[in-house]
Amino acid sequence: MRLAPDQLRQAGMSPRTKPGFLSVVADNGKLANEVVAGRVLDHSFPQAYAARWLRACRRLDQAGYGKGVVTAYTRYSGELVQKIDPIDILQLADVVSSVAIKSGRVAAQELPSAAVKAATRLKGDAWIFRTWLGLMERFAHLAPESMLIVLQKMDYLLSRLNVSRLESWLLAGVRSAGADSGRRLQFFTFANPEAERWLERESGSVTFADVQRELKSYMNALWGIRQPLRETSMHAPDHVWRRATFGGGLIYMPPAFPGYRGAQASDLYRAGVAHIGAHLRYSGKPFPVLKLKPVQVALISLIEDARVEYLAMREFPGLRRLWLPFHIALASGVMTAPSLLARLSRALMDPDYQDADGWIRRGREMVDANRDNWDADVSREIGGLLGNNLGQMRVQFNAKTYVVEPAYRDDNRGLWDFAEQQSAMEMEMSFDSVQINQLEDQQQPADDERDEHEQTDDEAAPISVQVTEEEGIPVARYSEYDYLTGRKRREWTTVVEFVPKPGPLRMVENTLEQHADVVNRIKLLISNARVSRPQRIRKQHEGDYLDIDACIESVIEQRSGEQPDPRVYARTERRYRDLSVLVLLDISESTNDYVKGSKSRVIDIECQATALLAHAMSGLGDPFAIAAFCSDQREEVRYYRVKNFDTPYEKRPQSCLAGLSGGYSTRLGAAIRHAGADIKTRLTHRRLILVLSDGEPSDIDILDKNYLVEDARHAVHTMARDGIDVFCVALDTGGENYLTRIFGPRNFVQINKLESLPERLPMLYFRLTA
Amino acid sequence: MLLTEYLITREPYYKPSGNEIKHYLAAHADRTPIILKGPTGCGKTRFIEYLSWKLKIPMITVSCHEDMTASDLVGRFLLDANGTVWHDGPLTLSVRHGAICYLDEIVEARQDTSVVIHSLTDHRRMLSLEKKNEIIEAHPDFHLVISYNPGYQSVLKDLKESTKQRFGAINFTYPEPAVEAEIVSRESGIDPETSARLIKIAERSRNLKGHGLEEGCSTRMLIHVGKLISRGIPLGEACEIALISPLTDDQDIRRALGAAIAACA
Repeated sequence: MRLAPDQLRQAGMSPRTKPGFLSVVADNGKLANEVVAGRVLDHSFPQAYAARWLRACRRLDQAGYGKGVVTAYTRYSGELVQKIDPIDILQLADVVSSVAIKSGRVAAQELPSAAVKAATRLKGDAWIFRTWLGLMERFAHLAPESMLIVLQKMDYLLSRLNVSRLESWLLAGVRSAGADSGRRLQFFTFANPEAERWLERESGSVTFADVQRELKSYMNALWGIRQPLRETSMHAPDHVWRRATFGGGLIYMPPAFPGYRGAQASDLYRAGVAHIGAHLRYSGKPFPVLKLKPVQVALISLIEDARVEYLAMREFPGLRRLWLPFHIALASGVMTAPSLLARLSRALMDPDYQDADGWIRRGREMVDANRDNWDADVSREIGGLLGNNLGQMRVQFNAKTYVVEPAYRDDNRGLWDFAEQQSAMEMEMSFDSVQINQLEDQQQPADDERDEHEQTDDEAAPISVQVTEEEGIPVARYSEYDYLTGRKRREWTTVVEFVPKPGPLRMVENTLEQHADVVNRIKLLISNARVSRPQRIRKQHEGDYLDIDACIESVIEQRSGEQPDPRVYARTERRYRDLSVLVLLDISESTNDYVKGSKSRVIDIECQATALLAHAMSGLGDPFAIAAFCSDQREEVRYYRVKNFDTPYEKRPQSCLAGLSGGYSTRLGAAIRHAGADIKTRLTHRRLILVLSDGEPSDIDILDKNYLVEDARHAVHTMARDGIDVFCVALDTGGENYLTRIFGPRNFVQINKLESLPERLPMLYFRLTA
Repeated sequence: MLLTEYLITREPYYKPSGNEIKHYLAAHADRTPIILKGPTGCGKTRFIEYLSWKLKIPMITVSCHEDMTASDLVGRFLLDANGTVWHDGPLTLSVRHGAICYLDEIVEARQDTSVVIHSLTDHRRMLSLEKKNEIIEAHPDFHLVISYNPGYQSVLKDLKESTKQRFGAINFTYPEPAVEAEIVSRESGIDPETSARLIKIAERSRNLKGHGLEEGCSTRMLIHVGKLISRGIPLGEACEIALISPLTDDQDIRRALGAAIAACA
């Protein structure tokens, strides 16, 4: 039972204090700073709590943390009592004590004053304050060395974050540094730039994740361009991180624009996307860098930026309103290269802008003279000339520190051909693999953190805590059918459950992006399917049989001379969809083969198809589960639960789906039996196991090809007897398969590319409704 | 003539965007059944109204819906105080007395519905009323036209092959920008410049078809926007009322579309 705070208070307990904890402390100790305590008591502390508060003070005193700690506590109690519940002040004493043990007395001394600031920032909300207090206690345990610095910055942190975001930020710091206390300290002192970025992310300023979907649609609507938008990695160097960039078929946007908030930040993102769209539309092929100087590269890029914007504004005049407010360079100021470049940008964009500087006037004149036949070559010529002039003016240009202004413009790497550059897709792939390694490393945290992590990070919590990747847990034994003897071999196979490894989430996202239309079609198809108990629909104009009640009423009306109701028929109809689906993926070695007539491997198409189906089903709220299997002889039929029926389809199952890889053999029958045991408990009208496979059961301990085929067939029959449908989507590898034998001629479809999935799925649903 | 109330007396405005009128008239000469294919609001219904007026043949429109049965088309016995009385359905009416029967969005109707038109759409040109034990020879003026919107919904709800192959099809899309601008400006009374801007706005939403929107903004929708503008509503607000809000409830898409529209003006 959980007690409400009021009840707790009546019972004389604070929610976090163990009962009787305070009463253990003897009353006979003497308080060090009786004068201060006396003043606090006289002026403000409610009498009802006075005795307990005094005991708390004494206890702190006797614990030997030093005079400073107890003085700080007593002193700030007076201020705190104005803002929060006295019961929380008593609890603060416990937290001060545990901080003193973990982080030392200096941090403990800092805590009461930080608590005052927190109470002010949190506006005295008792629950939130308690959460904050609990967080501090935990943080002292997680990162004792950083406690002091965090407490000192508490006012600033809480000015930007609420408590739950503060928690995420603190945990992000702990996680990014791992067990290395020095790195943790770097993070929390903001010596590590990551800290600021995470803070930006958590502080509720508009981040890329907030606007990603909108930006994608904006790009598509405005320019008809459907390139994937990505967030620049948090690990990228600073100058890369601050600006958008594009190239190789991908567009990268910064995770956040520090300093811009609310509507302005959203506009900045839109302006950035509109600008890159203009490049993609008008810029054409990348320029070779050849022997250009960095300043020339920067200037040619600037002129080219102005050119594409000029063309874009001719097409979409409204873009001027979007872009212009970000040009804030002023005609005065120091003559440094970045400021001159920003002024030139503005001069080329804003006709009302006056600038007396000769170089800028010259740039403007050159551009204006060429506006009518302004192409990329003209940009290159003008940029080159202006670059030379800037050199002659002895204005220093530092390419390493140069950041394009205004903020919405991209870093122009996409404009240039650096010859040795990797394509962005390749970069993404290599980046992914780095991330995966890190993910794997993170799965073995230092001992003192492990408990905390599992409690705090839902996303990373394993589905089943006991099972690790290396050793699965045997969960069930199933018999196997021997067609030669016509009998079952009792408890012949052992199913061992493993936890699936997470993989790159991008796979799922890319699939959904690339096949947006297929997703829509599948969704519509599923939502149109009516799989439920037939219902009788009464009082119809038309129907299969007479609705006797309605007939009687009609006749009564007719006899009494009234207008009879002509709706006297009834019919039965399926109206809803009451269906559980378990998608069972075959991830044996043979799924590494290529699908006939295609460049994709079986397992890739399996995973992509599952991603599409799962997306559609989770969008419609249909219950479904995903599992994968392979086998290493009869004693180890490996079964991976990617998603259970009752877990939501979130990042974890998605990344597990992406992380499946092929290996071992295909003992299909045992896997179907295990999946059947899982879906049997579902209380829906129809239950469906959807097997994705290449249709060749095999295992290395079986030489008779027919043996596993017949066993799988037997398993399918058993399922049918229990009212479970088994249906197979088979990937055609051109090899021998036994689909007809196992599933029956009508219960499988063969596809060789993802796009044909929606064409073939209706058959499955027709089968279910038939 | 019995169907006088179905005659169209005033000329509907129709601006051809290709040879569709010529094609229709040729098909009509032999009473070849016709499918008008195209997205919603691109002028299918207006086209057939225009031809009905031009040919001076009455036109009976049936909007099909998913609960529609064959009897809704053919007719049924209804109960009245004195017993059962037969009532002709719209299809029977046009077969009996000669009219263009226009079945709007035929795929929405249940599959068995479309089968009743089979005997009317081949050389037999007759309709049998089983319940009434009657066979009606089609009137010479009877012409069957159906419309059909090949969208995503056609995955399950597709016409039967045997139905499809009885028809000729005229494809409709949104007209060329210049033509569409002229239509919008004519129908809503806004100046050509605003109308051209609206066409550009429409393209933005059509880019999102299948990527956030089920369907882009139609010509009909643009005319509604134009009408609001000519009543003094500013362009941005008119687009919000008659374009963005009806198209989607998805906040992200609305914002994206709103921003793209803002870029056009």
